Amino acid sequence: MKTFLKLNNDVLNRYNTTGLLELEKDREATRRYFLEYVNVRLRYFIDIEEKIRYLVEEGYYEKEFIELYDIEFIKHLYKKAYDYNFRFPSFMSASKFYDSYAMKSRDGEEILEKYEDRIVIIALYLAQGDTDLAERAVEAMMEAYQPATPTALNSGKKARGELVSCFKLSMDDSMNSIAENIGYCLELSRLGGGVGVNLTDLRPLGDPIKGILNRASGVIPVAKLLENSFSYSNQLGQRNGSGVVYLNIFHADIENFISSKKPNADDKIRLATLSTGIILPSIFFELMKRDKDIVLFSPYDIYKEYGKRMSEISITEMYYELLDNPKIRKIKRLNARKLYTDVKKAQFESGYPFEIFDDNVNEVHPLKNIGRVQMSNLCTEILQVQQKSIITDQDEPNEYGLDVSCNLGSIDIHEASKVADFGKLVDTAMRLLTNVSQMTHIKNVPSVAKANKMMHSVGLGVMNLHGHLVTQGIMYGSKESVDFIDGFMEALNYYSIKSSMEIAKERGETFYQFEKSEYANGNYFESYINKEESEYHPESIRALGNVPIITAAMWKELAEEVKEHGLFHSYRLAVAPTGSISYIRSCTASISPCTERVEVRDYADSRTIYPMPYLTNDNAHLYVEAYDVNAYDLIDLYAAAQKHVDQGISMTLYVTDAWTTEQLAKIYIYAWMRGIKSVYYVRQRLQTLEECVACQI
Amino acid sequence: MSNLVYEAVNWNKPTSELAQIFWDQQWKQIWFPEEIAVSKDVKQWQSFEHQETYKKVFAGLTLLDTVQTNIGMNQIATYATDLQEKAVFTVFGAFEAIHAKSYSYIFTTLCTNAEIDELFEWVKKNEYLQYKANKIGDIYNAIEEGNPESLWKAMFSSVMLESFLFYSGFFYPLYLGGQGILRNSAEVISLILRDESIHGVAVGFFAQNLFKQFSKEKQDELKVWGYELLLDLYQNEMSYTDDVYAETGLSPDVKAYVRYNANKALMNVGFDAMFPEEEVNPIVMNGIRNEGSTYDFFSQKGSSYAKAKMAPITDDTFDFKNRI
Repeated sequence: MKTFLKLNNDVLNRYNTTGLLELEKDREATRRYFLEYVNVRLRYFIDIEEKIRYLVEEGYYEKEFIELYDIEFIKHLYKKAYDYNFRFPSFMSASKFYDSYAMKSRDGEEILEKYEDRIVIIALYLAQGDTDLAERAVEAMMEAYQPATPTALNSGKKARGELVSCFKLSMDDSMNSIAENIGYCLELSRLGGGVGVNLTDLRPLGDPIKGILNRASGVIPVAKLLENSFSYSNQLGQRNGSGVVYLNIFHADIENFISSKKPNADDKIRLATLSTGIILPSIFFELMKRDKDIVLFSPYDIYKEYGKRMSEISITEMYYELLDNPKIRKIKRLNARKLYTDVKKAQFESGYPFEIFDDNVNEVHPLKNIGRVQMSNLCTEILQVQQKSIITDQDEPNEYGLDVSCNLGSIDIHEASKVADFGKLVDTAMRLLTNVSQMTHIKNVPSVAKANKMMHSVGLGVMNLHGHLVTQGIMYGSKESVDFIDGFMEALNYYSIKSSMEIAKERGETFYQFEKSEYANGNYFESYINKEESEYHPESIRALGNVPIITAAMWKELAEEVKEHGLFHSYRLAVAPTGSISYIRSCTASISPCTERVEVRDYADSRTIYPMPYLTNDNAHLYVEAYDVNAYDLIDLYAAAQKHVDQGISMTLYVTDAWTTEQLAKIYIYAWMRGIKSVYYVRQRLQTLEECVACQI
Repeated sequence: MSNLVYEAVNWNKPTSELAQIFWDQQWKQIWFPEEIAVSKDVKQWQSFEHQETYKKVFAGLTLLDTVQTNIGMNQIATYATDLQEKAVFTVFGAFEAIHAKSYSYIFTTLCTNAEIDELFEWVKKNEYLQYKANKIGDIYNAIEEGNPESLWKAMFSSVMLESFLFYSGFFYPLYLGGQGILRNSAEVISLILRDESIHGVAVGFFAQNLFKQFSKEKQDELKVWGYELLLDLYQNEMSYTDDVYAETGLSPDVKAYVRYNANKALMNVGFDAMFPEEEVNPIVMNGIRNEGSTYDFFSQKGSSYAKAKMAPITDDTFDFKNRI
């Protein structure tokens, strides 16, 4: 057995038996990992020139981007990276990097890159010959910026996947569109993407086809086709493709859709590996509050009558109109409370469906005059406008609409509070994300390629909130923590807009239809310009470190500049759940609380023990575990952050099996009331027998 | 026709302390082997070095779970006097059946039919395996109506089986799974373990209640009987471990783990531990944690979802007076 694995496991074992952390065991595990595993496999190069030459000649690196730079500059950049004296702070970070990210020889035997090497290559690759940006990129990445996995993993490699891996597709109610979209899913899944597909516009089970009633099979068989496509099309067998399907809660197939993830569902409707999400307009919550029935509709009727698809209208606005219109069939009536209880039951039993609060998203949508946000992606943080493609018969040209690809990156909150120039850090991150978007061309999915070219959307997010709070002596969920995230996210929003404006100014180009956006007419800035000066808790201000507090006057000035020069990016911010990338950097994930002080991480390939960053025996009480955080406090914290994010935040809720479906419903309702846009998983901790019997025996 | 008076089980009135809790906990964690993608292990399996040991470990576990389904829980359920406890034992028996079937599910996925037939033949021939099955089976079959002592002995044996004898087998998949080898089969085992740990605690708890009713002399006599049985099974288990784990170099680790669990089994029935504390391989220890570990969406299904507790949404659900 590998001694480093044993040592790493011993950290948890000792912690469980004695309650004390023995971090030196983890450090020893990391040391032994290098001695026994990394160093013996690391290919030795005489110098940097030789390393680059070898890796290009052997076809590991692309040569085109290397040739954009002078070799002296490249050497200088390597030195710059190595001068940081980077050390992996945990066994988790080291093993995750060398297992999954570092370039290896084709037979997997030799390791060809160290951490710094990867950073330099990402910088050179994304900067595309701009030496100033390449330098800034190295600084940003060595300090506080982390590109998402596909970018970090694939940059500069000759045999590589795509730099982006998050897509949203919209299916139309025709066989042409269904077939075309399944084709897209196969393609995107092959590239390593997680794909979201909106099924809301498909006619439900039993609807007419060519006027003959009871012919349509509804959305579930389509979902099954998608599920099979994703499991067939994987990335060289390394990991299965993943996808999510969304459906509006007023769609006539909703009941089967909700039950489809239950472990005991009928095999004909059970979705084993495909994720599900539901779209909830506010009218649903209002009807539920008044204990009313809801009426389910068919998108087929809506399109015939209004010439619009179900996702293209606001159900909240149209609900009573639909009820009064005799040409719209009232397919089924369901008690809203009972239906929502079924949703909660399914979430307890499977973690699904995700929920998107339709009106919370669209009311504050900065591009609301361009179109509606109709769905989300696999992690519920991407919320962007889409336009349906018209897929015709093979002898006619298709009319492509707009779908979504998204490239993400995250700022480490703790390190960001220490950098000298926060605005510059955000600007560097925005520029790197911009280049990823410009370098991406998903040629086999024209609606995605088109949107990418026109919209330039990116998703900058954050991670390590809980870790940072612990270093500042602030309890997660406290008033101080809410103030902190409020101030931090406002600054992030401000500087990302500023950066987008600068880029638009430099390039003389804005995103498509900028002039119709809330940024152009100034509405977006109103609440910022009219705000009272923030009265943050002194602890929160201290925790902000070098991150500036943004004043109303600053916003006013920025609003003017945006009006004049426009914005380059249609969407800027999105907070992803940050799995692997937060492990490499030894960060806590996203803005969520840690799930365990000493976490057991089961990836598909190994089990690793991960003590939370900065955890010591003295600050352990600050690392309150997610299941012990008051759910309402957690929602308040996310709501504070959400105000400053134009897209969404991936929010997981944590419950124990002592909770009832009603208690779960209540926190979702609270989240909806607080303006939260989406809820990702609900995770459940099963109380172990020892816990539940101990107090009684 | 006989003229007995049949009594209906009345769950409205607790007759047994904790029966309801064990019942709820067991149903909350219902699972089926088909939910776990064991087929993802196939690729690793093809180049796995100690296939023989792995197969035998699982074959041995299949036999123990078969005995526990067909005889153990059935017999205990038949002779237990409290109607609620009877129901709990019957439910436990059903889960044992799921366990026994889940090993077959793993075999079917990893092995050829000829290999499977050969394994089931091996089970019939392996002396140590047959020894423990016979030893425990005899005690189960010796329960008599109106003889609480015989029932207690059966419960004691049941705890020995579930909290102690299974673990020489559980060791291997946990040990490998923790290192990223055949992880999905390990996932099945961790789900089985989650059940077995309730069975051990529950049957042990009911056995302790029964034990309290015996006279001091009887208790002393049964204690001696119990430790003797444990020692007997322990000797056999050591030989079984050497036999099955030959060539893997793991025997000393497995044995330490078996002793650790023997102590746990004794504590479940309210007896003092017998073996001195010793270090158990941390990878295996981490494999038996019950909480359900962290998964990302690209990974396989986690073991942490369970049945929901239903409660209706009411007007109060919309009341956040204390909050807003």
